[in-house]
Amino acid sequence: MSFKYDKNNKYHRLGKNALIVVVSLTVFVLAWWVVSILAHSTVIPTPIKTFDALISFLQDGYLGISAGRYISASLTLFLKGFLLAFVLAVPLGLILGFSKSLNTFVTPIIEVLRPIAPMAWAPVFIYGISYDTGPMLVVFIGIFFPLLTNVIFGVKKIDPSLVDAALTLGASKFHLFTKVMAPSAIPYIMNGIKVGLGVGWMCIVAAEMYNPRGFGVGYCISDMCFNGLWPSTFAMLIIIAALGILTTSLAEYLQKYVSKRMGVE
Amino acid sequence: MFDGSNKEQTSDKGSVSYAEGEDFIHIENLSKIYKRDDSETVAIEDFSINIKKGELISIVGPSGCGKTTILRMIAGLLEPTSGTITVAGHPCDKPGPDRGMVFQDFALMPWRSVIKNVELGMEMAGVPKEERRKRAEEYISIVGLEKFKDARINELSGGMKQRVGIARALVNHPDVLLMDEPFGALDAQTRNLMQAGLIKILDKTDQTIIFITHSVDEAVYLSDRIVVLTKRPAKIKEIIEIPWPRPRDRASPDFTALRKHILDELEKENVLDD
Repeated sequence: MSFKYDKNNKYHRLGKNALIVVVSLTVFVLAWWVVSILAHSTVIPTPIKTFDALISFLQDGYLGISAGRYISASLTLFLKGFLLAFVLAVPLGLILGFSKSLNTFVTPIIEVLRPIAPMAWAPVFIYGISYDTGPMLVVFIGIFFPLLTNVIFGVKKIDPSLVDAALTLGASKFHLFTKVMAPSAIPYIMNGIKVGLGVGWMCIVAAEMYNPRGFGVGYCISDMCFNGLWPSTFAMLIIIAALGILTTSLAEYLQKYVSKRMGVE
Repeated sequence: MFDGSNKEQTSDKGSVSYAEGEDFIHIENLSKIYKRDDSETVAIEDFSINIKKGELISIVGPSGCGKTTILRMIAGLLEPTSGTITVAGHPCDKPGPDRGMVFQDFALMPWRSVIKNVELGMEMAGVPKEERRKRAEEYISIVGLEKFKDARINELSGGMKQRVGIARALVNHPDVLLMDEPFGALDAQTRNLMQAGLIKILDKTDQTIIFITHSVDEAVYLSDRIVVLTKRPAKIKEIIEIPWPRPRDRASPDFTALRKHILDELEKENVLDD
């Protein structure tokens, strides 16, 4: 049976892309292998050793705590931070986009707080508030600002003729808000969520390192480093990368789905 | 396109009812001056006209002369600097569904289906769901989009989008339909089809329409009267009555002569028509 590549066939294209991804990752692993041999240092374990460490972490956990428990601890914290940011940033952003005077009042405060790197808050929140809520608040900060600015932007970007159209159809201020501004901001909200999730995931891993009695993957990887368990450390890096890819692709999928539903593509 | 039957429309509000041909819209000494810092731009100066019920009035004028400004003031989207506008006896100080507007860029909500767009005005007015649906379906069939009532807006062609825009305005039984270069974004062929469709609506109802266009051809084809404006500040240069029945023959000598006359007048205003 002969195979002919057809660039107009969806499955052929997907197959081609998958092949490229496999080749790209293979090249990456080979390069890593070469570097680990050349460096001849325990700090850079070979892919094989890392793979063994990954399997043993997933099977036996670390320090008597299962892998699932570390991962779910991080994900729970992440989800809590996200939810808090979502319930605060979305309504606030919609209101700030809608009301000019309120926006003028709040903007200076936001502009002072926004440039502070979320990680700068980590010691403040974790040592100052608590080991439990601290990392969650760092994630919250990481997601809150990108989300808020996207929501405000979304409300401001609204097509003025949609507002005119709604007004000539008899819209009150309340209707303008619920029937026009909020729905037209949704794609921007989704974009904010996507950006926010990316930043938030970086925050959680770093924030957990400050926590001396935590459970998350960030805590786990820093403890492995301190103990010189390099293959395990690298195995954790892989887990963190995988979880990061998972959250961003989920957000991307959601964004595409919602944009399509909202009639903007 | 635009088929289906449509009963005589009645205004939802207003205690006085107007018969076709009666003076219905009064615009008196309308002016609009835009003030910015210390400079003033006079957009409209001393614009007065009475429009009869069931009339189609088009307003033509050099580009940027303020045609849209007049329409937006009637819609209540813009406040006049001086002068008064009444439609069916009501002053036009704020926008409302009694003055339906059709926009050049369609201005449809892309997150709503065709029928949901048509229902929007009734939804905000608190019309019960059943009745909303029924009325929306009726007007969707008038503009010939029955098959597309559940379609998304981005699945429609430009002409179809504008038919949704027209249905969305008409479904609220407006006293006047304000059309702001409604076919300006469409290709020539679709444009002609839309004009023919609009004429069908005119035949079946006594809908009063104010129509802004920069196409003289379109104005002569559709209008009962054409208001020719001067360049900025816009004043009425001439009002031309066209008593011919519709549909009109674009190739007839009368048609081309009138078209030429208006184009000449506009050219005197120093601006070229399309």
